Amino acid sequence: MEIQLLTLLREQILAPDALLDADSDLFAAGLDSMGIMQLVLAIEDHFGIALEPTDLSREHFQSANRIAALLRSKS
Amino acid sequence: MIPATISDCFLLALETHMRRTGQGRHLAASVLVLDASPDPAAITAAAAALGQRHPLLHAHIRRHFPSLLAHWHPGARAAVPVTWHEATADIHSLTSQLLDSSGIDIFRPGPNLEIHLVPATSGNDCHLILLWPHALFDAVGIDLLIDELAAAPGEAPARSQPATGDSAAALPASAAWPVAKPILEEMRGFPAHPVRSLRQARGPAGAARFKVIHFDTAATARIRQRMAATAGELLLLPYFATIAARAAHAVIRRRHPSPDPAILLSIPVQRHPDPSRRPLFHNHMTPWSLLLEGGELMDPASGSKALYRKYASFMRRKLPAAMDALMGLMHRCPSWLYLKPSTHYLKGELCSLYHSHTGSFPARARMLLGKSITAAWHVPTVSSPPGIGIFFSESAGQLHTTISWRENTLDTAELAILESTLRADLDPGPPPP
Repeated sequence: MEIQLLTLLREQILAPDALLDADSDLFAAGLDSMGIMQLVLAIEDHFGIALEPTDLSREHFQSANRIAALLRSKS
Repeated sequence: MIPATISDCFLLALETHMRRTGQGRHLAASVLVLDASPDPAAITAAAAALGQRHPLLHAHIRRHFPSLLAHWHPGARAAVPVTWHEATADIHSLTSQLLDSSGIDIFRPGPNLEIHLVPATSGNDCHLILLWPHALFDAVGIDLLIDELAAAPGEAPARSQPATGDSAAALPASAAWPVAKPILEEMRGFPAHPVRSLRQARGPAGAARFKVIHFDTAATARIRQRMAATAGELLLLPYFATIAARAAHAVIRRRHPSPDPAILLSIPVQRHPDPSRRPLFHNHMTPWSLLLEGGELMDPASGSKALYRKYASFMRRKLPAAMDALMGLMHRCPSWLYLKPSTHYLKGELCSLYHSHTGSFPARARMLLGKSITAAWHVPTVSSPPGIGIFFSESAGQLHTTISWRENTLDTAELAILESTLRADLDPGPPPP
C-alpha cells in the first residue's frame, strides 16, 4: 500500500522527480490543501476507502506510512 | 516576445473590461512590514539588479494581427522605481492612494513593479509596498520575486525559473473542443440558479477600495482550532472559501431576499504542483467555478463539507482540464469579447465574489535586505461584476483578511454586515474565563 501511495503522490500530486520514501515528510515535499484533496480522491479510486474531512489531520498525512496506517484502520 | 499564458489572457480580458467600464487598472499591492528601515543603497541596488535581470519588469502586452495572439514585449533592462515616503500611521490609506495613482500600465512600455518604502510613525518598523499588475504576476510570482529581493546582492536564487511559456498543455482546437465541453455544460447549468453578486446594475462601479483585518497570533490560533474542529485541520481551501461565501451571501441576501441567492465562487487554483519551481512571471492558475446554494451556507461546517464535495466533484469530472482547454480555445478571442458569453448567460454576473487563500506569505523569505519580515499581506483590487473579493494569507502566525470592493458596490452598513459575519465565523473571541 505504501508503494502504491508513493506512486500516486509522484504521478498525480507532487512533482514527478520528488525524492520520496515511505517516511518522507509529505508537507515538506510540497503537499498542500489542494494536493490533499487530489490524494483523497485517488485513494477512493484506488483503494475504495472514502475519507471524511475530519480524517484529514496533519498527523495522518505526514508520510506515506502514516496514510497507510489510517487506511488500514478504516478498511 | 514571450507568449502570454492562457491565464494571462483571462486576466487581460478582465483588465480590458475594467478599463472599458471606468474601473481603472487591475493592480495589486503586497505589503511587508520590516522590523527596521533597510539601507537605501541596498534597496536601490536590489531594484537595479532585478530590472537588469528581468526585462519583463518593463514589458507591455499586445495582441498581434492576424493571429490575435497576445504577447509580452520585454522592455528596457532598467531599475525598478523605488520611492521613499514620509512616515505615516495609516498604511492602508497610503496603499489605497498608491494603487489609485500608480503609473503601471501593461499596455505601454514602462515599469511593471513599483517599490515604495514607508517608515512607521512610532517604533522602528518600515513598510515595503510592492505594486504590480495582475496580468503579469500572481501571488505566487510575487512570492518568488520577494525571494529574489531577499537574495544576497548579485546572487539569483537557485529556484528562479525563466518565463518560457504556458503551464497548460496546448491542444489543437479539434482536440480541445471535446475536452472543454464538460465545463461549458457545467456553465450552462448556472443560470438555473439565482446567482448574484454585489455589482450594482446601474451606475459606474467606482474606485478600488479595501479593508484589511489583522488577527493576532492568539486569535489566529483560535481560528485554526475552530477550523480543525469544524472541517479538519488540513482543508484550508474549502473552509476559508465557505467563510468568504457566507459573508458575501449575508450581504447579497439582504439586497435580494427572495429567492435565496446562490453563490458562484471563482477560485484560482495553481497548476504547478510545486509553486516554488514555476516561472516567476505570468499567471499559472485555473479558475474553478463552484456553485453553492443559499441553503448550503447555513453554517461553516455544513458549508465547507458541501464545498469539499464540490471540489472533489470538480476534480473527478476533470473540469480543471476542461477549463484549461476552454481558456486555450478562448485565448485568441479579443479581450473585449472574452467575458461576454459568461455575463450573457448569467444576466450580467460573472461570479458572486473572488476568493483566495495564499497560505503563508511570504512562503520562504523571513528576512529582506537584512531586516526581519514581521507581517505581510496582499491587497488585490477586484472588478465589478462581481464587485467584491475576500482574500486570506498568513504571516508569522497571524491571519490577514483583505476585503476588496469597488466604490458603489458596497455601502457602509453592508460592509459592517460583511465584516461582522466574517469575524463571527472566523473567531467569535476567546472563551469566557
